[in-house]
Amino acid sequence: MTSVLIVDDAAFMRMAIRKVLEKNGFEIVGEAENGEIGYQKYIQCKPDVVTMDITMPEMTGIDALKQIKKFDADAKVVMVSAMGQESLVREAIMSGAKSFIVKPYKEEHIVQTLNSIAMQ
Amino acid sequence: MLHAGYKCELAKGVIALASDNIGESLFDLFIFETSQNIEQLEQIILDNEKESSFASDAINEIFRIMHTIKGSAAMMMFDNISSVAHKVEDLFYFIREHSAEKIDYNDVPDLVLESLDFIRCEMEKIKTGITADGDGAAIVTKIAASLKQKKDKYQDQPQIMPEKEANDVNNANDQKLIIDKKPKKRKANREKITEDNKNTYKAHVYFEEDCQMESLRSFDIINKIYQFAEVIEYKPGDIMENDNSASIIRERGFEVTFKTAQNITDIDEFFSKLLFLRKHLLKEIAAFDLHQPAEVVTPEMPIENKTEEKQPVANATTDTHTAPIATMINVNVAKLDKLMDLVGEMVISEAMVVENPDLKGLEIENFKKASRQLHKITSELQDTVMSIRMVPLADVFQKMHRVMRDMCKKLGKDVKLEIIGEDTEADKNIITHLSDPLMHLVRNCIDHGIESEEDRVRNNKPKTGKVTLEARNAGNDVLVIVRDDGMGLDKNKILAKAKENGLLNKDSSEMSDSEVYNLIFIPGFSTNDNITEFSGRGVGMDVVTSNIEEVGGSVSIDSTQGVGTAITIKIPLTLAIIDGMNIQVGDSLYTIPTISIKESFFPKQQDLLTDPDGNEMIMVRGQCYAIVRLHQCLNVKTEVTDFTQGIFIMIEQYEKTVCIFADELIGQQQVVVKTLPKYIKNNYKINGLAGCTLLGNGGISLILDVGWFTGYKK
Repeated sequence: MTSVLIVDDAAFMRMAIRKVLEKNGFEIVGEAENGEIGYQKYIQCKPDVVTMDITMPEMTGIDALKQIKKFDADAKVVMVSAMGQESLVREAIMSGAKSFIVKPYKEEHIVQTLNSIAMQ
Repeated sequence: MLHAGYKCELAKGVIALASDNIGESLFDLFIFETSQNIEQLEQIILDNEKESSFASDAINEIFRIMHTIKGSAAMMMFDNISSVAHKVEDLFYFIREHSAEKIDYNDVPDLVLESLDFIRCEMEKIKTGITADGDGAAIVTKIAASLKQKKDKYQDQPQIMPEKEANDVNNANDQKLIIDKKPKKRKANREKITEDNKNTYKAHVYFEEDCQMESLRSFDIINKIYQFAEVIEYKPGDIMENDNSASIIRERGFEVTFKTAQNITDIDEFFSKLLFLRKHLLKEIAAFDLHQPAEVVTPEMPIENKTEEKQPVANATTDTHTAPIATMINVNVAKLDKLMDLVGEMVISEAMVVENPDLKGLEIENFKKASRQLHKITSELQDTVMSIRMVPLADVFQKMHRVMRDMCKKLGKDVKLEIIGEDTEADKNIITHLSDPLMHLVRNCIDHGIESEEDRVRNNKPKTGKVTLEARNAGNDVLVIVRDDGMGLDKNKILAKAKENGLLNKDSSEMSDSEVYNLIFIPGFSTNDNITEFSGRGVGMDVVTSNIEEVGGSVSIDSTQGVGTAITIKIPLTLAIIDGMNIQVGDSLYTIPTISIKESFFPKQQDLLTDPDGNEMIMVRGQCYAIVRLHQCLNVKTEVTDFTQGIFIMIEQYEKTVCIFADELIGQQQVVVKTLPKYIKNNYKINGLAGCTLLGNGGISLILDVGWFTGYKK
């Protein structure tokens, strides 16, 4: 079972992602509401995949991604972005994000994306 | 509350969730979180408006909150909310990315507040199950116009980048958007390519229709190809610089030419594993097919330095920072209401068991021990449930900042709001009833209470008026005081107005100050000749009293002319369970809230008086009080009609006191308040009864409406 850490400042988004992933056989090992906590939880749980929001307080998703990659170069991080954030997503890819999904996303998109990354 | 079907349809529509419960909880969370975000945002705007500029933290926060609202609303398919939030996000994106001091902020608070009002209004519709069909186009256009004006103005200014800003852009740790740099290009050496034994391939890929951000997905593909091949060329070549490239890729697909030692089968497998590809065409091309000296475009290498030394895991885990574990959960209020109801039922059931008539006269020591333990646990459970329902008054108080701002702006007054004791807690349902009355009171303070600037200066008062909101605990009650340093109430004016409207039922010379002030609570009373948009229609104060009384509270006024007015709202900590005194009249039982009882006593014959009109009265310590015969008022048959055979209970509300005459006192008890059944309420005009409750012996007791007996409501 693929373990997933969800990092998003919006509780609504965390729940939306959690429900979809749990329904599709993923195991949610943790949730975090900002990049700093996300990084800490990554160290604790070592999940197979991280879904990472970009715009967050304390530490942005990009900075958290960089931290996580520094700690574990093999970390598999998927950015959760929105239209208008192209440049930030590009920066995330440059920083080692494995892929990205765009809000509002479809269930099959997020499941496909995470499945394909987990298999890599 | 009960629009589960509607909620689920929405939530399922977005993420196709199987279970209705999931859809509903997601919907509730959306409502909860978005409402919280709106409140928070409004507060930031109001705080910053005072400073007339926005701190960079505030700008980031506003941007982030709007981004969150946009994302959540889009997920729930509330496109109108999402589009308005998106536009505000755009506006703050511009503000964030440009030097703040050059931007004209004047219209920003209004624009954001207007957007928030729109979103709030749509949220209200959603909550009540109405389709959120508001058209946000007008606001979107307004913000777009303002944004354009700001952009134009900014461009007209000399573009010398301040040193600070230049540093910001170069600062890799800065959270700001990294400005797109053109991909590094280098001239390819054609001879070198032909000499190589590598093969050259051209791939043409088409993305799935709704995958979004096609240009970035193309960029991602190039990045991936770069790991095993040398990318020679791609089309369109300006995927990151050109905003239209996404739509071009959507229509014509994306082409990439690269050179690699891998064979075609491996490469085909690589492409078939890529996500969101509708189809891909792959062909091997001879080197000389390259139509022109190619420009080799090398995308910047992703920072995926696997050779970099990993930090030892042990090191990291010994880090003293441990992620905080979530200790809060959000619970639907309906569930808490249900829980409270159940606890109420349990309190009654406990009394039914412990005070069961069958047990009378029995020597049952063990039963008594066990029932004491049961009582202890029931009380603890009751306290705990009540504490869960307690929320601080801060939310309601903070809302008043906005009310103040709008009022002051429109009336041209300068008033500051001081908040004291916002951490004071009360039952969630009671706080809900407090919002409207407080709003009316604050509006009244500013509109009627606080004088114009000239008048204040003339009366040696500070130019800026002051309204204070204060909350504090007082026993089982919470006191909420709205105080202003305005002109105070004019007794004569109130009396004149009351006379004019025929509201006086007593000689004005006999009325105490507080009785006169209380006149303003009578429906239809208004002394302000200038009816403004906000208050003065004579409905405000009426709303205050009716809302507060609905939750068992009371309102009192204290005022000094020329100095100011203080209105005190007294509300109970909780609604559901009250301390009551049970009394008997004939065969019927009644409960009086203990809080209204001043004393109870057996009368002496010499203290009883009857005036020439036949009104019965009693003297207590030199004061004369009216007597209310409960059996007459409520039309109950009883044999106790002689005052010396029964008991008097002195009750007070709004500084009016009467003595109720009843047969006997039964005892004090915590009772669970139930409203009177609808079939009784709808068919009869019930006077003097506030509700009913079940007693331990299974009997029903009616709760007396103290306000009615003291004559205030007659």
